[in-house]
Amino acid sequence: MATTTVAAPSSASGLLAMLSEPHPALKLHALDKINSLIHLFWPEISTSVPTIESLYEDEEFEQRQLAALVASKVFYYLGELNDSLSYALGAGPLFDVSEDSDYAHTLLAKALDEYANIKSKGLKPNEEAAQIDPRLEAIVERMLDKCITDEKYQQAMGMAVECRRLDKLEEAITHSDNVHSALSYCINLSHSFVNHREYRSEVLRLLVKIYQRLPSPDYLNICQCLMFLNEPDGVAAILEKLIQSGSKDDALLAFQIAFDLVENEHQAFLLNVRDCLPDSKSQASNEQPLEAVDHGRTEAGSPNGYVSTAADTPTSAPEDAHIDGSHTPNATPHGKEPNDFAKLKGILSGETPIQLTLQFLYSHNRSDLLILKTIKQSVEMRNSVCHSATICANALMHAGTTVDTFLRENLEWLSRATNWAKFSATAGLGVIHRGHLQQGRSLMAPYLPQSGASAGTSPYSEGGALYALGLIHANHGEGIKQFLRESLRNTSSEVIQHGACLGLGLAALGTADDEIYEDVKNALYIDSAVAGEAAGICMGLLMVGTASEKAGEMLAYAHETRHEKIIRGLSLGIALTVYGREEEADTLIEQMTRDQDPILRYGGMYALALAYRGTSNNKAIHQLLHFAVSDVSDDVRRTAVLALGFVLCSEPEQTPRIVSLLSESYNPHVRYGAALAVGISCAGTGLSEAISLLEPLTSDVVDFVRQGALIAMAMVMIQINESFDSRVGTFRRQLEKIILDKHEDTMSKMGAILASGILDAGGRNVSIKLLSKSSHDKMTAIVGLAVFSQFWYWYPLLYFISLAFSPTAFIGLNYDLKVPRFEFLSNAKPSLFEYPRPTTPPTSSSTVKLPTAVLSTSAKAKARAKKDAEQKANAEKLSGEEASGSGKGQKPSEKHADSMQVDSTSERKVDPEPSSETIVNPARVLPAQEKYIRFLEGSRYVPVKQKYTNRPAPSGFVLLRDLQPTEAEVLALTDAPAAVASAAGGGASAATQQGSTSSAMAVDDEPQPPQPFEYTS
Amino acid sequence: MDPQMTEVTQLFGRFKAAFIRNDFVSCNSLLSQLKVLLTKFPSLPPSFQESPNAVQELTIAREIYEHAVVLSVKTEDQDAFERDFFQLKPYYTDTSGILPSSPQEYPILGLNLLRLLVQNRIAEFHTELELLPTSALDNPCLKHAVELEQSFMEGAYNRVLSARQTVPHETYVHFMDLLAKTGHPEWEIKDGFVFFQKAKESAPCKEIPSLQLINQTLSYARELERIV
Repeated sequence: MATTTVAAPSSASGLLAMLSEPHPALKLHALDKINSLIHLFWPEISTSVPTIESLYEDEEFEQRQLAALVASKVFYYLGELNDSLSYALGAGPLFDVSEDSDYAHTLLAKALDEYANIKSKGLKPNEEAAQIDPRLEAIVERMLDKCITDEKYQQAMGMAVECRRLDKLEEAITHSDNVHSALSYCINLSHSFVNHREYRSEVLRLLVKIYQRLPSPDYLNICQCLMFLNEPDGVAAILEKLIQSGSKDDALLAFQIAFDLVENEHQAFLLNVRDCLPDSKSQASNEQPLEAVDHGRTEAGSPNGYVSTAADTPTSAPEDAHIDGSHTPNATPHGKEPNDFAKLKGILSGETPIQLTLQFLYSHNRSDLLILKTIKQSVEMRNSVCHSATICANALMHAGTTVDTFLRENLEWLSRATNWAKFSATAGLGVIHRGHLQQGRSLMAPYLPQSGASAGTSPYSEGGALYALGLIHANHGEGIKQFLRESLRNTSSEVIQHGACLGLGLAALGTADDEIYEDVKNALYIDSAVAGEAAGICMGLLMVGTASEKAGEMLAYAHETRHEKIIRGLSLGIALTVYGREEEADTLIEQMTRDQDPILRYGGMYALALAYRGTSNNKAIHQLLHFAVSDVSDDVRRTAVLALGFVLCSEPEQTPRIVSLLSESYNPHVRYGAALAVGISCAGTGLSEAISLLEPLTSDVVDFVRQGALIAMAMVMIQINESFDSRVGTFRRQLEKIILDKHEDTMSKMGAILASGILDAGGRNVSIKLLSKSSHDKMTAIVGLAVFSQFWYWYPLLYFISLAFSPTAFIGLNYDLKVPRFEFLSNAKPSLFEYPRPTTPPTSSSTVKLPTAVLSTSAKAKARAKKDAEQKANAEKLSGEEASGSGKGQKPSEKHADSMQVDSTSERKVDPEPSSETIVNPARVLPAQEKYIRFLEGSRYVPVKQKYTNRPAPSGFVLLRDLQPTEAEVLALTDAPAAVASAAGGGASAATQQGSTSSAMAVDDEPQPPQPFEYTS
Repeated sequence: MDPQMTEVTQLFGRFKAAFIRNDFVSCNSLLSQLKVLLTKFPSLPPSFQESPNAVQELTIAREIYEHAVVLSVKTEDQDAFERDFFQLKPYYTDTSGILPSSPQEYPILGLNLLRLLVQNRIAEFHTELELLPTSALDNPCLKHAVELEQSFMEGAYNRVLSARQTVPHETYVHFMDLLAKTGHPEWEIKDGFVFFQKAKESAPCKEIPSLQLINQTLSYARELERIV
C-alpha cells in the first residue's frame, strides 16, 4: 500500500479481541487486518490460533478460506509446516502460488515435497497410500504450469521428475526452447536424482519416446537410454537404419554409437545388439577386418611401416571408401552395407576397440623399468610375499601393453615363484597381454594343461594360465569359453579348477550362460575349499546383475558347507548377482545382513555396495555406516566402510567427507576400509581432499592399514604428475623409501610395491575409471575392483584390478576404423599432463653430492657431449616428423627419442612454458585434460559427434569426418599390431625369447645409465 | 461532512441517549452497528491511514469504545469488557502524537487493572502496570487499584473490604462488589469475614522409574560400544 500512515500499530491485541466480537462483519474485518499484519505480530497472534481455527471450522462463517490462510501463516511462522500446509490447502484460491514471499516459497516447496512423497509411496504395493488430496495436486499442477509458462523449463522438469508426473515432464520438454539440451538435462537428472530403478526406467522410456519424435533425433543419447533399459533390438534398429541410410556420416555415427556403448562394458547387452543386426552376407565379409590385420602383419618388416600412406596401405579398403564418398553414396549398396555391418559387429563384439586399445597401449608404453629393477634388487629373495608383489607390480605396470621384457630378462629370478606364487606369476601374463584376443591362447600355450600328457608343467602354472586366459579375454570371452570349460571338466586338480573357474568367470562375465553355470556348480559341489572359493566367485561373475534365482541356490550351499573359503567365495558371488539392481536386491541384502555367519554378512556388505554402485543412495549409505560401527565382526565392519567407496563412486568429492571420521577410528579394520573406500571412489581423480585423508594413514601404526592406504593412494594418484599435485612426488619418494628400507615390515612393503605398480599402470597410459563418459557405471571395472578388494584373503585376486584400467586415450578413427594422423590442440601447459620423468639410476645422486670434485674441463666436455646429443635428437625428431611440423617438446605420440636424456627438460627451463601444445592422434589425453582439448581451425578431420549433437569429443574413440576425402591419408598405429603379432608369433613358437625380446627392446627405450663418474683430485 | 461520519455521529448520539436512560438492550444493538460502521474508517488502528478526517474519526472511535467499556461494566459482562478494552487500547498507546489524551483514559485503565485483580490474573496486572509511565501512578484511579493489590499481597483483607468505600469512580463499585462476590481460589468472603480454604494435599512422591533408568543405562553402554 502506497498510502502514508499517521502512526504505527504496536500490538495486534485489539484485532484479536475483535475476532471474538459476535458480529461476523467485525470478525471478517479483524481477520483481514490480521492477515496484513501477521508478519509483525505473529507471536501475539499465535496465542489466538484456536480462535482462528474455530472460525475456519465454522461452516457458517463466510470467509473460512481467509481464516485458513491466516492460520496457515501463523503455523508457518511457528515452523509447523505440516499444519501450515494443510491450512494453506484449505485456503483454496487465496493461497497465491506466484506470491514472491518467503511464506509462499516455503509452502510451495513443502507442498512439492509432500506430493512427491505421496507419489513415491504410491508405487509401493499398498494402494491406499496413493490417495492424494486433490487440492494438493491442484497446487502442484499450478506450480508446474506456471514454470512452463514462465519458461523455467529446468525447474519444471526437475519438479515433474520428482513428483512423478511424466505427463508434465513431457509437456515441459516439448515446450522448451531447446529440446535437445532439455532431454540431456533430463537424462542427467534421471541418473543422478532418481533413486528408484523402475521409475528411472519409466523416465528414460519417455525420453526415448520424445527423442524419437524429434526431426533430428539424438541417436547417441537414445542408444544410451536404450542400453539402460536393456532393449537391444531398439539399438539394433537404430544402427541398422543409420547404416542403411547410405550416408557416410550416418554410418560414422553408427560406429560412434557402437563405440560409446562398448565403453559401458555391458557384454551381454552388446552381444544381443550384435545378434539383432541383420545377418545378410555379413558372415562372409566378416573375414575382411581380420584379413586386414593379417596383411598388416606381413607388412611388418617394411622399413616405412611406421608412417604409411594410403597408397601403400595393405588393404584397398580406404580407396574404396573414397570412391564411395565422392560418388553417389547409394551406388554400391550391396557391396557396402555388409561391410559396414561387419565393422559394426566388430566394434560391438569388442574386437575392434580392444585391438585399437592394445595398439595404443603398446605404442605409447612409457613404463619405467628402472623402478621395477630397484624393487627387485631391494626385495629380499626369500620373502615370497614381496617377490609375488613385485611380479604383480610388473604385470600392472605393463597391463595391456604386451611388453614382458622384465619377465624375460629375469627368468631365473622369476623361477623362485613356487606353488601359488607360480599361479599368480602365470596369471600376471594375462594382465600384461590383456586384450590380446587373437594370440592369447598361443601365448599361454606353454603353460596350459596339455590334453595328453600333463607331466611337464605344474598344476599351479596351468591353473594360473587358465586364469590368465580369463584376464586376457575378460568380458569378451566368446572365443575362449569353450576351451576353459573343457579344461575345467577335464581336470581333477583343485588348483587347475581354481584357475579355470576364475578364467571362466572373467571370460563369460555377465552372460548368464546356463551350461557354464552347471559346470561350475559341479566344481563347487566337490566341496574342495580351493576350487569352491573360485567357483563361488565365478558363479557371481557369470550372473552379474541378473538378480537370478540362482542366488538362493548359492546361499543354501553357503549354509551347508563347512569351508570358510567356499562361503566367502559364494557370498561374494551372491553379491555380484544383484549388481546394479538397487531396491530389487533389498530382500536378498536383508537376508544376508541378518545372517548368523559373519562371512555372509560380509557378503551382504558387498551386495549393498554392488546393488547401489554409484547411486549415492542415502538408504544404502546409512545401512553401511550402521554396520561399520555396530557389527561385531571386524571383517564385516571393514567391508562395510569399503563398500561406501562403491556406493559413492559417482560422487567422489563426497567420500572423503563421509569417511573422514571413520578414518580416525580406533579400529584398524575400519581405518583400512576407509582408506580403500577413498581409493575406490576417488580413483584417478587426484582429489586433494582424498590425498589429505590418506596421507596420515600411510604412516599408520598398524601394518595392514599402511598397506591399504598406500594402495588407495596409488589408485587416487594414478596418472597424476608432480606438477599437478606436488604430493605425488612426495608419495613416490615415500614408496621408494619403504621399498628400500630393510626394517620395514612385509605388509607395508607389499603395499608399497603394489602401489608402485598401480601408480604407473598400463605403461602410464591407463587410469581407473568406474564411470563411462556418459556417467553410466562401467560394470567390468566395478566388478573388477570389488573382487580385487578380496586380495585381503587371497593374493591372486589382485589381478582383478586390471579390469578397472581403462586407457586415457584420444583415438580418432576414420570411416575404415583406421587411425589417421592429424593434429589437435591441448589448451593447457604441457607440464600439467606430461608423463612423469623416468627415474634416474641411484648412482646419479652421488654425482650431485660432489659437484666440486668434477673438473671444469670435464664438466664442460660433458655438457658439450650432452648438447650434441640433444641437438642430434632434435634433428632426428624434426626430420622424423615433418608431417607434424611443430618441434615442441614432449609429444606423447613421438617415439621416445628424447626421453633417453636424463635432463631433457633443461631446454624448457630457459624458455617460458607454452600455454598450449599440439598433440597428434592417437594421443594420451588425461581425464583432467579433456576440457582443454580443441580441434584446430580448418582441421581436415572433425568429430562426427559435433555434427549431430554439438557435444565435444575430447577422448576415447572418436569417429572423424574427413573433410578432404580425396586426399591421401597418413595413418598411425599401423606398425603396432604388426610388431605385436611378430613378437607374439615368436613367443608362441619353440624358439621363444630372442626374437620377442629384441623387438620389445626396440620400442621400450629405457634411460641409459650415465657414464661412470670421474673422480679426480 | 463525510456521510459516514454523519451516520456515525447520529448513531452515537442515539447510543448516548440510550446509555443515559440505562436502556442497555438498545445500547448493545446500537453499539454493534457502530462498530461495524467504524470498520469503514481507514484511519483507525491498525491501518492508521492518513485521511483528512483522521483526527475526527479517531476521536469519535475512541469515545465509542470508551462508552462500550463502561457499558460492559454496567451490564456486568466481563468478556465484552475485555474485548472492548483491547480494541480501545491502541487509541491510547498508538495515537499519542495525533490526539489529545482522553479524560477517560486513566479511569478506564484503572478499571482494567481492577478487572485483572478480580480475575486473579496477577501477572497480567503487573505487565499492564509496567507499561504505564510512573507519573500515571499518581492518578487516584490507578492508585486505588495498586493499593488494593498491595493489600491483597500483604494479607490486609480488612483494607480490601474497606476499599469499597473509597472508590474513585462510580463504575469501580461494580468490580469491588464482584471482588467480594466471586472470591478467589484460596479464599472467599462471607458476611464480612475472609475464609481461607484448606490447601490441597500435594501429590505423593513419584516412584523412581527403575525400569526406564536401567534401559537408558544399557542403551548408553551399547552406544559407547559403537563409538568408532
